[in-house]
Amino acid sequence: MLLTILDVLIAGLLLGGIYALIAVGLSMQYGVARVLNIAHGEFIMLGAFITWTVYTYLGINPIASLLITGPTIFVIGFILYRTLFTRLRRISPTPEAFEGSSMLACFGLLFIIQNVAIIIWGADMKGYSYLAVPVDFAGAKFAANRLVTLGFALVFCVAFYLFLSRTRMGKAIRASAQDSDAAGLMGVNIKQVLAICFGFGALMAGLGGTLISMSYNVQPTMGLEYTMIALIVIVLGGLGSITGSLVGGLILGLIGSIVTYIEPGLSMVAYYLIFMLLLLARPTGLFGK
Amino acid sequence: MVKKSRLLQGLMVLGVAMAFLVGATAADCAPKKDKDKIVIGQAISLSGPLAGGVAISGGKIYELWVEEVNKNGGIYVAEYGKKLPVELKRYDDKSDIGTMSNLIEKLIVEDKVDFIFPPWGTAWLFAAAPICNKYGYILIGGPGGAGKLKELSLPYFFQVLNFSETQAPVLASIFKEVGVKSVAVIYRADLHGIEFGKSLIPDFKKKGIKVKMNKSYPDGIKDVSPMLKEAKSLGVDALVVACYPPGGMLFTAQAMELDINFNAFFLTVLPFSPPLFKGTFGKAIEGVMGGGAWNAKTSPGAKELVEKFKAKFGEEPDYWGGLYYWASLQHFQKAIEKAGTLDQKKIRDIMATQKFETALGPFWYDKDRFFVNHPGEIGQWQKDVFEVIDPGVKRTAPPEYPKPNWPKKAK
Repeated sequence: MLLTILDVLIAGLLLGGIYALIAVGLSMQYGVARVLNIAHGEFIMLGAFITWTVYTYLGINPIASLLITGPTIFVIGFILYRTLFTRLRRISPTPEAFEGSSMLACFGLLFIIQNVAIIIWGADMKGYSYLAVPVDFAGAKFAANRLVTLGFALVFCVAFYLFLSRTRMGKAIRASAQDSDAAGLMGVNIKQVLAICFGFGALMAGLGGTLISMSYNVQPTMGLEYTMIALIVIVLGGLGSITGSLVGGLILGLIGSIVTYIEPGLSMVAYYLIFMLLLLARPTGLFGK
Repeated sequence: MVKKSRLLQGLMVLGVAMAFLVGATAADCAPKKDKDKIVIGQAISLSGPLAGGVAISGGKIYELWVEEVNKNGGIYVAEYGKKLPVELKRYDDKSDIGTMSNLIEKLIVEDKVDFIFPPWGTAWLFAAAPICNKYGYILIGGPGGAGKLKELSLPYFFQVLNFSETQAPVLASIFKEVGVKSVAVIYRADLHGIEFGKSLIPDFKKKGIKVKMNKSYPDGIKDVSPMLKEAKSLGVDALVVACYPPGGMLFTAQAMELDINFNAFFLTVLPFSPPLFKGTFGKAIEGVMGGGAWNAKTSPGAKELVEKFKAKFGEEPDYWGGLYYWASLQHFQKAIEKAGTLDQKKIRDIMATQKFETALGPFWYDKDRFFVNHPGEIGQWQKDVFEVIDPGVKRTAPPEYPKPNWPKKAK
């Protein structure tokens, strides 16, 4: 019995680590840059495809490919913000109007990125097998690739937290999140900071995509389900809260694991139930202000 | 006088009628308006969630067939006294049934295509069949299908692919033959999974095989390890999963990662796809069973299809439906040539009643217009070949049992 409980808990953490990582990025983009990025999952998909490509064709292992996917997706995110969202922000009469129009723009981005991926990689599903070996842990078996994923996800989340709390750029991002106009008056280059922030959100999604591709198959339409999960996590953890996303992701993973253990048919239903209940009971989330 | 005028009137009427009849006959003898090609319309998912399925299963067969027909100058239609090349006019339904339905109407009503090729997926076929039937257009089912289509009884619809009703009894027979005593049946909670999951249980019971676990999982599940571990703890000989490719990939990957082995490992919709299944797991798929099946050994025509497919697309074809669709198109072509016209009804009548030789051997439809001469129901990966392991003449290799354990290091 004890072994089963441990088994379910660790399986939940393995799932939760990924959820946390993909939610952190979305939380940043919405919490600071005010873009509810419906195309977040598409950046995850791009990260996954880049990893699949360099591993399949160049033999670069998925862990090393993090150094390729992260910067590549960051640049894409940064350029997108500077070209598309900066202008949208300028022409939107109110922050609320910007939120609405940026979300619609993301909706368009979702289809553009998806179709570009279909043109580049084709519509079919792809996958590879990496570190698909069991690791014995206290008598229970876990997949090596999922353990590695959890390790990296936690490292990335902590590194990102430290970046925000300990660096000058992090401080500028936090200031922009609280009051972008005041931060601008204090000498923060708002356009740049928001673009960097959006880029970081995309970077986290890209890294998440790399890690996801180690355990799951990759296809151009894979993004939406991860966007949904990330949305549930940020509602659970609280918008703009890195700690919230991390804890929220792990909680959601644990709930998923427990429900799957009891009745697998209800695992997805449980996620959406949590989502609905939280929106009704505590819309600010666990760590939201 | 009156009599005379009556006679004259009668002669005049007869004359007019004769003139019409002669005119009509003369018109019949005149050559038909010329035609330079046969246009076939298809609304299929080139983007959206189904696009992946189209790419690995079926979609490419239609392209290859059109290319092949045109290489030979086209299809000979006696009515025009020549071979007509074929043009495939494809629209993207974006994986949306409503869009697909509108596009099929557009192809028929506006574009006035000569024939319609099927969309992709069971639910899509369900929606497309009545539309084609309404306009009197033949619809040869491609990827997808279910017994429920019989209930619709649409004279212009032809079902090509096999599914649970013919596969389940064969799987149960194979299990009985190799000595499987107990199974765990896991199924995706949708039409395919439920139909397959349900139809297996009585077949297993009939053969004295115990079903120790029967659970469903939802689409989008991210962790199936609890189900794998439960099946293992129940000590079953065989794991049977009615799944679509994403679920199948997850069950395979997690069973491999956790080193959970069963004597038989069967997945419905996945092992037939070499690019995805073999491309991902490599040699580790040895002994995995799946829905299907055929291979290059099935017939000389099947061998030719594998070679042509590899030459055009650089990968192996789908070893479930690939040969079925290919042969159904050959049967269709022969029916057109025999009819000597592009008239749907005449071709339909020939298709419904006549047997033609195709790549998989003789091809014909039963009274419900369901194709019955399947090249194989169940396949198993053995030394890089998806062997047909059905009992009887279709078998290309005996089943490998127990399945070897997952290799210690994948790929």
